[in-house]
Amino acid sequence: MMDELLEYGIYLALLVALAVPLSAYMNRVMAGEKVAVLSRVLVPVENAVYRVIRVDKNESMGWKKYLVSAFAFSALCLVGLFALLMLQGVLPLNPEGLPGLSWDLAFNTAVSFVTNTNWQAYSGEASLSYFSQAIGLTVQNFVTPAVGLAVLFALFRGLVSTGDRGLGNFFVDVTRAVLFVLLPLSLVVAIVDVQQGSPQNFNEYETVQLLEPVGVDADGNIVEADDPAAVKTIDQATVPMGPQASQVAIKQLGTNGGGFNGVNSASALENPTPLTNLVQCLSLLLIPVACVFSFGRFVADRRQGRAVFAAMFILLLVALVAIAAFEQTGTPQLAADGQVCMGTLDQSGGNMEGKETRFGVTDSSLWAAFTTAASNGSVNAMHDSFTPLGGMVPMVLMALGEVVFGGVGSGLYGMLGFVILTVFIAGLMVGRTPEYLGKKIGPKEMRMAVILCITTPLLILVSATVLALDPATAASLNNSGAHGFSEVLYATVSAGGNNGSAFAGFNANTQMINVVLGLEMLANRFIPIAAALVLAGSMCTRQKVAVGAGTLSTSNALFVFLLILMVLLVGALTMFPALALGPVAEHLMMML
Amino acid sequence: MKQAKTWASAGLFFLVTTVLCGAVYTVVVTGIAQAIFPYQANASIIEVDGTKYGSELVAQQFTDDDHMWGRLMSPSTGTFTNDEGEDVLWYGPSNLSPASDDFAQSVQARVDEIRAAHPEKGDEPIPSDLVTNSGSGFDPHISPAAAEYQVERLAKNTGKTPSEIRAIIEQCTEQPQFGILGDARVNVLKVNLMLDGIL
Repeated sequence: MMDELLEYGIYLALLVALAVPLSAYMNRVMAGEKVAVLSRVLVPVENAVYRVIRVDKNESMGWKKYLVSAFAFSALCLVGLFALLMLQGVLPLNPEGLPGLSWDLAFNTAVSFVTNTNWQAYSGEASLSYFSQAIGLTVQNFVTPAVGLAVLFALFRGLVSTGDRGLGNFFVDVTRAVLFVLLPLSLVVAIVDVQQGSPQNFNEYETVQLLEPVGVDADGNIVEADDPAAVKTIDQATVPMGPQASQVAIKQLGTNGGGFNGVNSASALENPTPLTNLVQCLSLLLIPVACVFSFGRFVADRRQGRAVFAAMFILLLVALVAIAAFEQTGTPQLAADGQVCMGTLDQSGGNMEGKETRFGVTDSSLWAAFTTAASNGSVNAMHDSFTPLGGMVPMVLMALGEVVFGGVGSGLYGMLGFVILTVFIAGLMVGRTPEYLGKKIGPKEMRMAVILCITTPLLILVSATVLALDPATAASLNNSGAHGFSEVLYATVSAGGNNGSAFAGFNANTQMINVVLGLEMLANRFIPIAAALVLAGSMCTRQKVAVGAGTLSTSNALFVFLLILMVLLVGALTMFPALALGPVAEHLMMML
Repeated sequence: MKQAKTWASAGLFFLVTTVLCGAVYTVVVTGIAQAIFPYQANASIIEVDGTKYGSELVAQQFTDDDHMWGRLMSPSTGTFTNDEGEDVLWYGPSNLSPASDDFAQSVQARVDEIRAAHPEKGDEPIPSDLVTNSGSGFDPHISPAAAEYQVERLAKNTGKTPSEIRAIIEQCTEQPQFGILGDARVNVLKVNLMLDGIL
């Protein structure tokens, strides 16, 4: 018990200890300042990029141009990736000779990676060539978090600006985020992963000899080799190869989450040891946490950053404790009247279905909480096989709108929507005009804040309804009853939060589901980006007002409490009826 | 007109990032990996006298009485073939809800199978990782408790003494990293290669 608590403590302490210095570094990078060592190497590359793409790095864009640039870049990425996936069969670096994807799967996958979701309706090692993985998907894994960071810093600039309408240069922001933040960190993480055992090559898949050959019967089922029903014997197995570590590093750091392999970081090839688990798990929350501290530094009032951090951290802790408790307890179906040992002597114990031995319940619970708090969506255990309530907590974290740290950039601009909503409601209660960071909040800002807050829940409920009404969806389910509904709900929550994790028994590769989830991911990425930039554009025209005795503090404990309440009110209440039909119903039936 | 310039820059930017983050980054990581850690970078394949027996990181299914058993697995064909076009095995997780009837039946069937092969253990509860499918479907490890559970059966069927079996298990056990990270685990394929005298 003490060991487990100590391990939870190490993860959380390291996360905060690394995020604080990174936040200072990110602010310097995004302000265009020089940084030690890296500037000498990277500034020439940076300037070459601007020359090639014909951008004047000193031009500061208004919100409209910033938005058009972000949309144009994302739209072209979408078209490029879609074409690449369709044409996979004729492109190079395809030793397994995999064919191009169907149009609906290519659409779904391209949208998924361009929206920083990384929902995967396919299994990477069986469907994608090295070209698609490294040249297609990895590139989006770098640029989408950079776009999120760029939009966030544009919003920061709008919040502190006193009349200057420029929000910065979109192309410069993305370039610097990629070159100075994402590339160096990914290089380090990738090398650690390889050292611990993750493959990194362009070889054909390896075929190995089985110690115990198996038989296959006439129906294609695997039986013992000496079974009379066996019609043939199989004595070989596959070991998937490829440039895995390089893609895994950035899928974690960029809150992307799309694994090289279908089972993601549960595969010992992607995540070979508890050390890589620590590194990958910290990577997935590191930049979103740093963004919050960056915010405090940027507005020159670090208490503002700490208050938002406190609200997010409390929600994360509550979720982590809940998941760990439910998973360590397990289910009566597993305990099988005492025939199975659930204790922790020389084993992890608890609910080990869908979990890896090297991680056990502790590392799996940490990952599940981190990956759904961040909009990462990578997994190191199968969420479909979590206990009913242990699997509900990740759903709630995503349904809150991915604002418990959330995606790189996107998590915090989503949360700032909730902050403004809280300021407004608290202002109404005491009868004062709402202000935030010394600026008055008007009707236009409120409209944008509300859009930021309700886009996710609204999209989730609409998509879940559409899929639940389609009779064909039933054929995609891996479990029946309440858990079957949970599988559908989880898919729409994951797409709606731009998360990408799944109850993976659900077969999402049908035309209907590919298209519905694809549209949901698109809307949930680009509506909030637009709202954040409109908000930035309108805040930068507002003059500072003097702080008075009646000004509501947005950095004390009371405000943190109000903010948490507001997040739960919007996110959790809209989702409660749906959750009651899925995980809650399943839990109650389990206890019968 | 102004917008056309933005779109042109955006298109060029897509190409530039594709070269930088796709090609250059991947090639640099591959170069470093192959130069410094060639064994790991090529998937930790266990090769003895020219035969490749598997990867340390990918489990195989064992059901023989003289082999250590690993996590419950569901091997399948149809995903991959070898160079001759013949089916080879691949694995995946169950994705069953641990609160479902299907799961309860799967656990009971596995419990019965294990009990039948280990009469000497009587009614002793079976470690939970031995009756469950893993996250990847090819978890190469089991817990020390699950390995210890099988020692007497392995001794009986391999002609080795229990202490010889325990010594092999010991050699194939990795402790929590730095004494605290993750759980202790036994690599099942390595144990069986040693039991067979190959390693």
